Amino acid sequence: MEMIKIDKKDWNKGLDRSRKTYRLVGPVKRAGEDLAGFYELADKEHPDMGAADTVLSAKSVVYPQTEVMFRYTTDKNSPDCNRLKRPAADYSPRAVIGIRPYDAAAILMLKKNFDTPDYRDPYWCDAYEACTFVGLAVDAPSSTDFSTSTGSGPFSEKGLDVLLVDMAGHYLAKVLTDKGAAYMKAAGWQRAADAKAAAQQIEKKKKAAEALIVSSVSFDKIARKSILDLYKADFWDDVAFSCINCGTCTYVCPTCWCFDIQDESKGKTGVRYKNWDSCMYPLFSLHGSGHNPRGTKTMRARQRFMHKLKYFLDKYDDGIMCVGCGRCVRSCPVNIDIRRVCELMNRYGPDPDACAV
Amino acid sequence: MLAYTDRIKEIARALLTDCRVELVIGFRKGTVPMMNEPCFINSPDEADQLVWDSNCGINLANYLANRTEKIGIVAKGCDSRNIATHIIENKIGRDQLFIIGVPCQGMIDRRKVNAMFDGEVREVVESDGLVTVRGADFEKSFEKSELLQQNCSVCTHRNPVIFDEMAADPVDEQQGVDRYADVREIEAMDPQQRWDAFEKLLAPCIRCYACRNACPLCYCPTCFVDEARPQWVGKSQNPVDVRTFHFLRAYHCAGRCTDCGACERACPVGINMRVFTKKLEKDCFESFGWEAGLSPDVRPPLDTYRPEDPDDFIK
Amino acid sequence: MEHMGIEPGRLQFSWVSSAESTKFVKVVNEVSETIKKLGPNDRFVKKEIKVA
Repeated sequence: MEMIKIDKKDWNKGLDRSRKTYRLVGPVKRAGEDLAGFYELADKEHPDMGAADTVLSAKSVVYPQTEVMFRYTTDKNSPDCNRLKRPAADYSPRAVIGIRPYDAAAILMLKKNFDTPDYRDPYWCDAYEACTFVGLAVDAPSSTDFSTSTGSGPFSEKGLDVLLVDMAGHYLAKVLTDKGAAYMKAAGWQRAADAKAAAQQIEKKKKAAEALIVSSVSFDKIARKSILDLYKADFWDDVAFSCINCGTCTYVCPTCWCFDIQDESKGKTGVRYKNWDSCMYPLFSLHGSGHNPRGTKTMRARQRFMHKLKYFLDKYDDGIMCVGCGRCVRSCPVNIDIRRVCELMNRYGPDPDACAV
Repeated sequence: MLAYTDRIKEIARALLTDCRVELVIGFRKGTVPMMNEPCFINSPDEADQLVWDSNCGINLANYLANRTEKIGIVAKGCDSRNIATHIIENKIGRDQLFIIGVPCQGMIDRRKVNAMFDGEVREVVESDGLVTVRGADFEKSFEKSELLQQNCSVCTHRNPVIFDEMAADPVDEQQGVDRYADVREIEAMDPQQRWDAFEKLLAPCIRCYACRNACPLCYCPTCFVDEARPQWVGKSQNPVDVRTFHFLRAYHCAGRCTDCGACERACPVGINMRVFTKKLEKDCFESFGWEAGLSPDVRPPLDTYRPEDPDDFIK
Repeated sequence: MEHMGIEPGRLQFSWVSSAESTKFVKVVNEVSETIKKLGPNDRFVKKEIKVA
């Protein structure tokens, strides 16, 4: 594990140097006042490495909101008649600069869905493989950050190729993978830091950052509760009452992976694309027959929390489908708080740890 | 504000104790600064959950459409106008409602407050028109009037227009406010500038539909953007589809919008889509002298015909 | 529509009775003349979806 010291005055220069072989993606202000999300950086544009996190997660880097799957034509005169052609997309190496550790951890969760032994989503996998994740450790976690209780954390290395730690005048870069080492080389950042001292400095900052985390969730008892008990729990009406069934929580979420497939055709040609979808929408589960198994907003809100905090937990036995970034808490227009719901679920019904009498 | 909360609690408790309503819809304290969560209570012991302060910007009329119970509802000026609109549009019956009127002094624009500071805003406290904003390493006080949502700062109907009981004495309405400065700014542009201005405005839109779903007017069983047969609008991030959604939604609100600001407040990416609805609101005011929801007994201009209706756009 | 940036004149309203054939011809001519002057409409025309 290599430690590299990057002087801040070499930062932009290195980024620019790496553009020869990498497309750069990072948090920048685009179209509006907000640091809305991660975008491909234009020439000479540099990522915002400030403390503020983006409104949307970094998932769009590997999983764009709208993505063309294929084009087709039914024109008999075309040599491509009735063929489904995947559009040429740019899967050359891209470096994701300034991704937060919890977002990188979330991308590994997405991987569980898009890259499985049985099915491999080529769009997601190709984009993922093209990426080198150069993460920025979080020094000042927000009050809605509960990442430490989800198995991630402000200095988590999960899913990252490089972890950058801001040391005021310079960054300490902890190179975690070969991909990460290759990027550091491309950027020309090669000044090795004293590994032991750097590790100590990082450890100190990590402890300090973790100490600043003020919120947490517990889900230790959820796995041992029955699905049906939780499903029928009496708190769902109260939790879901304020829900307006918009898709904000699912769209800002780094771990929500559901998509919808749409066709648009004009004359003899057409395109099939996928869009982010949201379990908050009535259309999400509407059957062709007109029946909707999740016909009420309470059912839809319950689905979101049950999927994240129970079904996922049961299926993968690897924690909840949430990295604790706090985005849904901050962005929900009506202040539905996953931390509260998780607590309700964890506390619901008989305590599985209680002594039998 | 504290007095408002106490009075709301008292009224709600009495309503539920006497079984005059089955539930009361109001706000409970939120989990993040400048946010309260809409909630319902159905037993008198829960009345203590209810709160009222300058963070109750969500329009509670949104929670009424098609409900069948007898309901107590907390309503500020704009909520009451949307309740009146609901009554006109048969989404709820007047006899089903006990309206707890709240004279409103405007809601805090949380986006504006958050944008004022580099660090995270951790706590916002208000007392006597003074709002104190605190973060880990800063503290600053403001006159509340500096922090109001834009729609609140130009509001001329702060007091509920219909109510069964008031939680406090009416407040003075704001006089001499210029309601449409922002609309005139767009009207002054040439077509290309307007097109570009809206293109820029809508660029961050992620089509989460929070604006639509926070809007009490948007109660259609299936929204036109969700229709599949026929499909009117594409569902991708194509700017044409995004724009079609926004401007058609605004049209559907013509003559009904009370400029409550719920749409703008709900938007996760800070789009002021009120510039669409406000243009129509202004036109309705100028053409028909109409302000939506002032009375449940007057039919709105778009479903009435008067010989003197302006028709100079017809050749 | 004009507020959104559609050019004035592209959208027109008229009221023509079935008995007013001359008015109908006049309106159609005027509309097509205005539209021709404005040229093809490029607003609200969908271009290709962007590939990431």
